[in-house]
Amino acid sequence: MKWNGANPWAVEIDGFAKRYPGGWWGAGPGTAVEGLTLRLAPGQVLGILGPNGSGKSTVLKALAGLIRPSTGSCCVFGHPAGSDAARTRVGYLPEAPRFSPHLTSREVLAFCAGLSAFTGFHREMRVQQLLHWSGLEEVADRRIGGFSKGMVQRLAVAQAILHDPDLVLLDEPADGLDPVARLGLERLLCDLAAHGRTIIFTSHLLARAEAICDRIALLGAGRLLAEGTPGELLGDDAFAAPEVTPLERLYLDRFAAHA
Amino acid sequence: MPEPAHHGGRAAWRRTVLVARHTLTIAFRLRLALLLGLTGAGLIAGSWELQAFNFGQVEVKFLGDLGLGVIGWLGSLLAVLATTHLFFDAISHGAAQMVLARPIRRWEYVCGIHAGIAALLAGFVALLSAVLAAVLVARGGAWPGEHLRLAVLLQAAAVAWLKLVLIAAMSLFVCSFAQSALFASCASLMLVLVAQLRRFAPEHGVGQWLRVWPDLGLLDPGEVLAGGRVAGIRWVAGITLYWAAYVALFDALTSHVFHRREC
Repeated sequence: MKWNGANPWAVEIDGFAKRYPGGWWGAGPGTAVEGLTLRLAPGQVLGILGPNGSGKSTVLKALAGLIRPSTGSCCVFGHPAGSDAARTRVGYLPEAPRFSPHLTSREVLAFCAGLSAFTGFHREMRVQQLLHWSGLEEVADRRIGGFSKGMVQRLAVAQAILHDPDLVLLDEPADGLDPVARLGLERLLCDLAAHGRTIIFTSHLLARAEAICDRIALLGAGRLLAEGTPGELLGDDAFAAPEVTPLERLYLDRFAAHA
Repeated sequence: MPEPAHHGGRAAWRRTVLVARHTLTIAFRLRLALLLGLTGAGLIAGSWELQAFNFGQVEVKFLGDLGLGVIGWLGSLLAVLATTHLFFDAISHGAAQMVLARPIRRWEYVCGIHAGIAALLAGFVALLSAVLAAVLVARGGAWPGEHLRLAVLLQAAAVAWLKLVLIAAMSLFVCSFAQSALFASCASLMLVLVAQLRRFAPEHGVGQWLRVWPDLGLLDPGEVLAGGRVAGIRWVAGITLYWAAYVALFDALTSHVFHRREC
């Protein structure tokens, strides 16, 4: 893949490997990712697809600076992943996000906004915007302990994009979302991409990936099995699944009628 | 959109305070803190019912010792369990990932958590000390000036708080490398016990290495109370320096180990 822009690659992974030596007891030694090399230009959407344990989350964690490569390197906009310069430009949604059940969604977002250097009026405004976007405005002052899985997921996505990051890392973002929220998420991804944001997400759901992604990477047992645009990978078989399946259309129509 | 200000001492201070406030908000809503606070207040308020066990001591002395004992034991439990919940659970269950993926340094996170827990412990000690003062006044009919003065009680409460903050620092250190909440809690309580009995460490042989461990006996509020007088500035300065050195050491060790830990 070529990138001729003056700016560095949005994401540059060179020979990345993550091996775990194993502890005194419990899990033995293992390799999560081995010899991964991947580049992504600014403004592109990359879907990392693969079965459980294929190393998808490990790649995102390395880019977020939460784990260090055993060998190789990961760079974000030319800065080593995990450096302050990289982290200011990254928004991260972990797999199965958890918040303290004693807090409200407004408090969580206000805290995250504070850490991202929002202050005073700007902070309140941004929190309100995201509460509105995530559909949590009405329950903004309710404790998270009473939230459904989908509400927690929407809150987690909101904190990931709160500071308008240049690179958005989403680990299984559609997990726990109902069709309405999933559609909202897809539109958000398209909107972010249209505004020049680079997005990497992982998923088990293959049906919509080819419609959303500029590039797709298939991981298996920690190794890159295939990488390219949907057209390159699928050739004449490329086919974008409809945004809404007939069953989802029925679901959305019935719920819209009751709303 | 605000201008990002991620660098410099002021930004680090702001982030640390943010984490501390966030921690305190969660801590005050923990059922554990409420339960231990109410239990402690109930025990101290009903302490004169236990005077059959005063071993011949005068009432004020007995009530004071019992009250400070309750503050010390329940406070130690709160310091260890709250630290495990607020630090270990956050880093092991992924709640901290969303914080640490932002431009915050690990030491800022550790210091913020510790400051939040210290504030929780301050509230706990203040509540139980107020109940103890009320009980002493009620039993004395008036403030029992000859036996115990308010300033002495305040000083004893301050020493109790110093001790609990140091226990929280020790617990933070254990949590930084622990792999389970049970281990973190039990190991922390064991280390507190070692620190409490540290004065009995032998001066020679292998056991002498225990003498590098902090001596919680030096931070015993009962000793302040037993003196009956406000301790002098030299004693206060010495104790505070001793405490600050160990807290700084444990926080530095915790930050170092936590920096190497992958979340």
